[in-house]
Amino acid sequence: MKIAVCVKQVPDSETRIKLDAPSTELDQSSFTRVLNPYDAYAVEEAIKIKEAGSDVEVVAITIGPETVTETIKKDCLAVGCDKAILINDPALADADESALATVLTAVLQKDSYDLILFGIKAIDDDSGQIGIMVAEKMGLPHVATITQLDLGDGTLTAHREIEGGKEVVTAPLPAVLTCQKGLNEPRLPSLPNIMKAGMKPIDKLTCADLGLETPAAKAKIKMYYPPAARGECKLVEAEDPADAARELARLLNEEAKVI
Amino acid sequence: MPNIAVFIEQRDGKFKKVAWQMLSEAKRITAASGGEVWAVCLGADPAAEAAKYGADKVFTATGDSFGIYNSELWGAALAQFCTAQKPDLLLIGSTAMGKDLGPKVAAKLDCACISDAVGLTYEGGWTVRRPIYAGKCYIDVEPVTDLAVVGIRPNAFVLEEAAGAGAVEAFTPDLSAIEPKAVVQSIEAGEGGRVELTEAEIVVSGGRGIKGPENYALIEKLADALGAAAGASRAVVDAGWVDYSHQVGQTGKTVGPNLYIACGISGAIQHLAGMSSSKCIVAINKDANAPIFKAADYGVVADLFDVVPALTEEVIKLKG
Ligand SMILES: Cc1cc2nc3c(=O)[nH]c(=O)nc-3n(C[C@H](O)[C@H](O)[C@H](O)COP(=O)(O)OP(=O)(O)OC[C@H]3O[C@@H](n4cnc5c(N)ncnc54)[C@H](O)[C@@H]3O)c2cc1C
Repeated sequence: MKIAVCVKQVPDSETRIKLDAPSTELDQSSFTRVLNPYDAYAVEEAIKIKEAGSDVEVVAITIGPETVTETIKKDCLAVGCDKAILINDPALADADESALATVLTAVLQKDSYDLILFGIKAIDDDSGQIGIMVAEKMGLPHVATITQLDLGDGTLTAHREIEGGKEVVTAPLPAVLTCQKGLNEPRLPSLPNIMKAGMKPIDKLTCADLGLETPAAKAKIKMYYPPAARGECKLVEAEDPADAARELARLLNEEAKVI
Repeated sequence: MPNIAVFIEQRDGKFKKVAWQMLSEAKRITAASGGEVWAVCLGADPAAEAAKYGADKVFTATGDSFGIYNSELWGAALAQFCTAQKPDLLLIGSTAMGKDLGPKVAAKLDCACISDAVGLTYEGGWTVRRPIYAGKCYIDVEPVTDLAVVGIRPNAFVLEEAAGAGAVEAFTPDLSAIEPKAVVQSIEAGEGGRVELTEAEIVVSGGRGIKGPENYALIEKLADALGAAAGASRAVVDAGWVDYSHQVGQTGKTVGPNLYIACGISGAIQHLAGMSSSKCIVAINKDANAPIFKAADYGVVADLFDVVPALTEEVIKLKG
């Protein structure tokens, strides 16, 4: 069995965005970069399947600059992925989700995978599109936002989170899944495994290597804005909590008109 | 003149409110620019309500394919609709179903797909405003294809009645060639009863300050009194006090209600990311220096165990 895990390096969730006024560019130079937290669930699930079965190969696939290799080594190879593929092509700098899905589809079609795992979304762009687009482009079924996975003989059953409950979905393999928190608890890499990860292969490709013309973006970012500023916080001062509660309720009702 | 198609989501014949919010916004746009607003629904007939919120035409497809949601059948139906009717935009609510359907339809039609938008403007072409980094920053995006599929965040647009003709149009997608592979076998309801987080107009959230799982009931009681959804910080979820489906933040749900009440939540950047677009934010925290007060409109520096039950009483009185 062969499993692909498509991952992305993203700015750490602690990242503060430095933007005082609307701008056509966003300064990302100071960002600390880590594996997208949702992708860690995809990596963990693949490794669990590998550990439970025999003859399972797990390939981590990512698109990004050379600097993503550290994250790939530490958070993919050192925790159990067998190899990685990095598509590093400066021409993809302005790629949108559709273009990235086209590139990933080309990579995935060079081999034959039984399962293709993604995180539900990356915490920088927050789009949550690429896994579903790849499934459609490859003509494969997908189940998005899964919190449980059981593999059968050539089939899978997954729990998919929906409002107020879950759907139990079945699909034949090969299939594409997007992984949500709750699916598993991602492990941390051990120091010896981080050292050994350096020995595992990382194939480096460009769009040309894939026989692809750089796919054009279908949507373009024109402007970045800081969030709207908030006024001062109005503190409700009262000796007694009951008075504070009464005054707060009054303000919310009469002033803010939200209750 | 732009024609805007709006996907009217339904489960078990119940329509999602975000559908009416999208119709309202589409109507506001076409009132200025010309063009029509089209409601598109699979599996139920929304004509009466859709007309109330401004739909000029209502396209409804019914039949066995549109019982329980199936991405392959529903995606194909919406793609066929777009190919036949050529709307300029297809708006889909950013719900569990909408987030599944939007990219599917866009990939079929090879068109632009923009997730989780909170603003739309039309000036000959479209500009779509959306948050990135979970709301730490906003971007304006311009689609370059003739059709764009745009996901719309619940509560981003104000609901407003505006009469539309609501002319019912036949719409019969041909799905005979599709044998769905991924199939929903059953739907299991969760805790149920309470309002869903991402759609709620009011959210009451509890953080580590609630001290233990037994005290989450305080949060739920206030939420119930307000007709609100109950949320939580990651600290509370990771401690196993409540289910992950309640988590608000960068790695949980992003919410933008009219009112967000944070009780015993410090206001870590990852939490703020998920709720800072709320229209009014209230913080109840005993530490006056907690960062949550910097994000809040109203604050009470006090013990939540005193203030939250008292506030619940006040709300019940106010509503009674
Ligand atoms: C990759 C990553 C992703 C993350 N994603 C999220 C996310 O999606 N959502 C999220 O919430 N967090 C997230 N976090 C965690 C975040 O950094 C914080 O740790 C978390 O939000 C803290 O939760 P808290 O505010 O409930 O707890 P604390 O920070 O411990 O704050 C508890 C607060 O309760 C107050 N308090 C205590 N007792 C009382 C009382 N009796 N009355 C009133 N106030 C009281 C205290 O003064 C304090 O301010 C993430 C972290 C990382 C690294």
